[in-house]
Amino acid sequence: MTAPLDVSGSAAEAHPESVLAGAGKAIQGRSLTRIAWMRLRRDKVALAGGGVVVLLILVAIFSSPIIAAFGHPPLEFHQDQIDPATLLPKGTFGGMGGEYLLGVEPVNGRDIFSRIVAGAWISLLIGFLATVVSVIIGTVLGVIAGYFGGWVDQVIGRIMDVFLAFPLLVFAIALAGVIPDQGFGLEGNGLRIAMLIFIIGFFSWPSIGRIVRGQTLSLREREFVDAAKSLGARNGYIIFREVLPNLVAPILVYATLLIPTNILFEASLSFLGVGINPPTPTWGGMLSEAVRFYTLPHFVIFPGLAIFITVLAFNLFGDGLRDAFDPRAH
Amino acid sequence: MLTYIIRRLIGAFAMLVVISMVTFGIFYVVPQWAGATPEAMASRYVGRAATPETVHLVAERLGFYDPVVVQYGNFVKGLFAGAQYDYGAGVEHCPAPCFGYSFITGQPVWPDLLDRLPVTFSLAIGAALIWVVAGVAVGVLSALRRGSFFDRLTMGTALAGVSLPIFFTGMISLVVFSYGLGWTPPGGAWTDFSENPAEWAYNLLLPWITLAFLFAATYARLTRAGMLETMGEDYIRTARAKGLRERQVVVKHGLRATLTPILTLFGIDFGLLIGGAILTETTYTLPGLGQYAILAIRTQDMPQVMGVVLVAAMFVVIASLVVDLLYAVVDPRVRLS
Amino acid sequence: MRRKHALAGAATAVLALVLSACGGGGGTAQPAASASGGGAQAAFNAAVTGVFNPSTKKGGTLKAAHSADWDSLDPGDTYYGYSFNFGRFYWRTLTMYKPGPGPEGNTVVPDLAESLGEPSEDGKTWTYKLKSGLKFEDGTPITAKDVAYAVARSFDKETFPHGPSYLNELLEWPEDFKGVYKTPDVDFSSAVEATDDSTLVFHLKKPFASMDYVVQMPMTAPVPKDKDTGAKYREKVISSGPYKFETNEIGKRFTLVRNDQWDPTTDPNRPALPDRIEVQLNVNADDLDNQLIAGDIQLDIPGTGMQPAALGKVLPDPALKARTDNPTIPRLWYVSVIPDTPPLDNVNCRKAIMWAADRVANQTAYGGEVAGGEIATNVMPPGIVGQEKFDQYPSADNKGDVAKAKEALTACGQPNGFSTTMAFRADRPREKALAEAMEQALARVGIKLTLKGFPASSYFSDYAGNVDYVKKNGIGLAGHGWGSDWPDGYGFMQAIVDSRTIRDAGNYNLSVKNPEVDKLIDQASAELDETARAKLWVEVDKKVMEDASILPVVWAKSLLMRGQGVTNVAYNEGQSMYDYAMLGVE
Repeated sequence: MTAPLDVSGSAAEAHPESVLAGAGKAIQGRSLTRIAWMRLRRDKVALAGGGVVVLLILVAIFSSPIIAAFGHPPLEFHQDQIDPATLLPKGTFGGMGGEYLLGVEPVNGRDIFSRIVAGAWISLLIGFLATVVSVIIGTVLGVIAGYFGGWVDQVIGRIMDVFLAFPLLVFAIALAGVIPDQGFGLEGNGLRIAMLIFIIGFFSWPSIGRIVRGQTLSLREREFVDAAKSLGARNGYIIFREVLPNLVAPILVYATLLIPTNILFEASLSFLGVGINPPTPTWGGMLSEAVRFYTLPHFVIFPGLAIFITVLAFNLFGDGLRDAFDPRAH
Repeated sequence: MLTYIIRRLIGAFAMLVVISMVTFGIFYVVPQWAGATPEAMASRYVGRAATPETVHLVAERLGFYDPVVVQYGNFVKGLFAGAQYDYGAGVEHCPAPCFGYSFITGQPVWPDLLDRLPVTFSLAIGAALIWVVAGVAVGVLSALRRGSFFDRLTMGTALAGVSLPIFFTGMISLVVFSYGLGWTPPGGAWTDFSENPAEWAYNLLLPWITLAFLFAATYARLTRAGMLETMGEDYIRTARAKGLRERQVVVKHGLRATLTPILTLFGIDFGLLIGGAILTETTYTLPGLGQYAILAIRTQDMPQVMGVVLVAAMFVVIASLVVDLLYAVVDPRVRLS
Repeated sequence: MRRKHALAGAATAVLALVLSACGGGGGTAQPAASASGGGAQAAFNAAVTGVFNPSTKKGGTLKAAHSADWDSLDPGDTYYGYSFNFGRFYWRTLTMYKPGPGPEGNTVVPDLAESLGEPSEDGKTWTYKLKSGLKFEDGTPITAKDVAYAVARSFDKETFPHGPSYLNELLEWPEDFKGVYKTPDVDFSSAVEATDDSTLVFHLKKPFASMDYVVQMPMTAPVPKDKDTGAKYREKVISSGPYKFETNEIGKRFTLVRNDQWDPTTDPNRPALPDRIEVQLNVNADDLDNQLIAGDIQLDIPGTGMQPAALGKVLPDPALKARTDNPTIPRLWYVSVIPDTPPLDNVNCRKAIMWAADRVANQTAYGGEVAGGEIATNVMPPGIVGQEKFDQYPSADNKGDVAKAKEALTACGQPNGFSTTMAFRADRPREKALAEAMEQALARVGIKLTLKGFPASSYFSDYAGNVDYVKKNGIGLAGHGWGSDWPDGYGFMQAIVDSRTIRDAGNYNLSVKNPEVDKLIDQASAELDETARAKLWVEVDKKVMEDASILPVVWAKSLLMRGQGVTNVAYNEGQSMYDYAMLGVE
């Protein structure tokens, strides 16, 4: 479930007990994966979402040949397409046509189609990698909290509370505003992308952390963990061999659902002007420029649609995935 | 019960302390790591072509020469004991809670926050009303008619709803309904409720609906899932067997159990929303706390940033406290300990 | 920040005449220089050539709006052109710019003073005689003491950090004077003194010829000592002009109503037509334009021109376009080419940037020929006294000369180009567009530009204007803009080309660090002959261009819209926007 964007962190994921209670009980070794896969295959909507996700990934990977075939380089200016007085595209419908599939941007005449294709890369990269960061932090802290309990659980629980009470967007904007130019062996936009991934991931981990903690808590009480303990297995062994494998399914499900939230987060930061530096195209950045030219529908709608379709596809797929792993909600 | 509340309050307080320290760190310490001197920081708050003496005086006045710990200490002291503000011709006492004076306008921050709170509160309360009623109603109906056309249509819409960024829907709705059709006022329109309730609602209608659309989607989905789960429980069957009318079964037994997670979600959403509906307020240029936060960050007006962040965090903390207390009322099984 | 001059005005006026003649409609266009000209016939540039819709009708409410917040309403603490302009509704200063259109708008006329200032033989003492019958809004008479006090209080930059520092630097302040609040007992009469109720004397450290221009700034607006509340005075300013504050909600709105103590016979410059003036603050800029077009708002206070979305609506529509004016303002938008950052320490590498830049793309980025400005080929904008237009880096169609750029690169020892970083203000869409245009243009010759946006609020303090930051982060180019306080070379150039103004942080001169330029500046400042002085400033301009440390982009123009139902509208060159104090409503 994607949280409405204004809350940035997903409140829905903060208390997912209602859906999770089922997932935990349903975990029964490998056969579950097979059952889930069978269910998923029957879920046409989820498959369609998954298909779009795969398509988007392909577009991101092959953006260069796609742009070469159907568009102009995303950074290239085409000022012959622009009315020098109003700075708006000369052609009707924002200059849309065979030459410029989705029209051109005002002021510099850049090809909107190419910029949207090129922007897919940033959105997906940040969406995925930020989720990886959240999953790593969330899993580590969630397992520790759930498995060891007691004061460790208390401390980690409090930390999660603090994160949930943070006006995240405010912090992210403030932090993104002070990113240095060089560091960690990176510079320019490379560093900026890395920092955005870290910032977004770092602020989204509690949602995964809560789920993992809850699951670990229930797994800890299960017979096979008791059995391992009575056989003298060490904590490390139990965590890695007994607990973690059983967490893969819920983590996968919630990671899939976190990706679109993170994509929206990146888009909001770019929209507010603290995302990736120009001229690298991003969807949020395009929308933020479109605000100044709100009279041009094509300039507003295409980047908005790109965000919408991507987020929707991930949501559909993630939803199907959850249903597949959770027979009770099905 | 009382000890529980006290313990939670202490926890909440500790949380606010942590948050204030982190915020302070970001705005006061990070720039120094980046190499900003006290003079460099002060030169943000002076007019064009200010002389070095002016910059030095301002740096001194804003306390930038003090160690960060002292600056933070002064901030905290202002919160609890109030502060003295030298406005040149005299000294003014800024009573607790004193969030200080804007570095740019010289106005005290606290009255500013109080002034903007009603805007954000109005936005949140109206949107919340719409999204809870619509979301829960749609969720219940969908669950009862599972698999029907209505179910698929509303759940499809709901999924689309959560996938739309508000700065996109907001912009489109403004272009269509305000600039295009002229049905709704343009962005930035705001009338206080006490001045003219009708105009208040009219001005907020578009932001309410846009915001509610996003949230209602989440609530509808959650309600539907919850209802499906509870309606399959044994006690519902028992209730039906007792011969209760279906409406009673749904409302008294089914919905009640479903509402618990909804309540939690609502508390947090509402708290976060009051803390800063940044994107909504930016899109519609509503003079609320979210817009205040963005302006404060853009102009690096540190007292304003500290104030808005702390107030925002406070609302989240209060909301989650209230939710936990309400839990005990809604669900008698919950014991506060 | 502001100020202009004659040439541009005349040129624009002539151009406008041609345009209105062509644009037709049988307009009543009048000779440009006649301030009494103009008419009610809406035509493009009608308020540049004369007074549009002239009227003497009193009454009504003028509705104005501002897309941001005022820096301060306190006359001692404000430094925006719109504030100097608008403030004349509620303050009076010793002198003021002559109201109305045309080049005369650049001259100053007496306001509180009976006549312009009387300099002493050595030019170090200036005396102003006040008119009689001047009163504050509470009826107490305005005396020279109140003006002297206002000047003295503005000295305290800790309390009033926003205002100009000219008088702090020009006057002979006592060593131990720290402002009227910290050292209330120190006698500041060595700097400014009221020798009697109507005589005010300024004592300067060194001769200074343009005192009449300095005292039109609001530091000389009288402030009654017993009503002065320091930094809080902005909340309740005591009026000396035709209007006074009825309400004032800082950051939101304020209302001015007639000040019945203002005596029109003492004030020939202000017609004071409306009964009431309502000002909304922090209105969304796009909404402001829409409301201006629709007539819900009649005056856009910042006076810097319409937003891009509105341009697309206004320019293609003849009826709307006829409501607009398109003056050139004395402001240059440019790129600083910073010689501290290798390989830009080599002048040939800087020249490569001059040659490679695409001036048309840059102009478009800055808003195009109407809203942006004229392509600039050198530093001083038209309108500055004695300005000469010249071009040391000409190219076909102004698209840049790739061959010459490559030659320069070879001469610099970087035949394949190099990489550098360009800073820009991220919250300024035009500067961002400029950075993108530069990136594209320089890529043609192998110069790879990394763009880096910073918040405008700390751009000069922490980033582009911070010497340490620039060096550590290898900032080679930086977006910049400058407008003049004076209509002469000193007023425009000194702050951005004199390397001796450079300090650790908060610099406005980011890139001109040439001892020869400094030497020329000293020569020009010491030159007493006006023509010779102007020539020397042109020399400075040429030297800077040879040094290739400033890449000029555009000499700014703004597209202003006259509000619906507003009378007596004229573009004033002194204010670089409409003359607000003249306005009335139908």
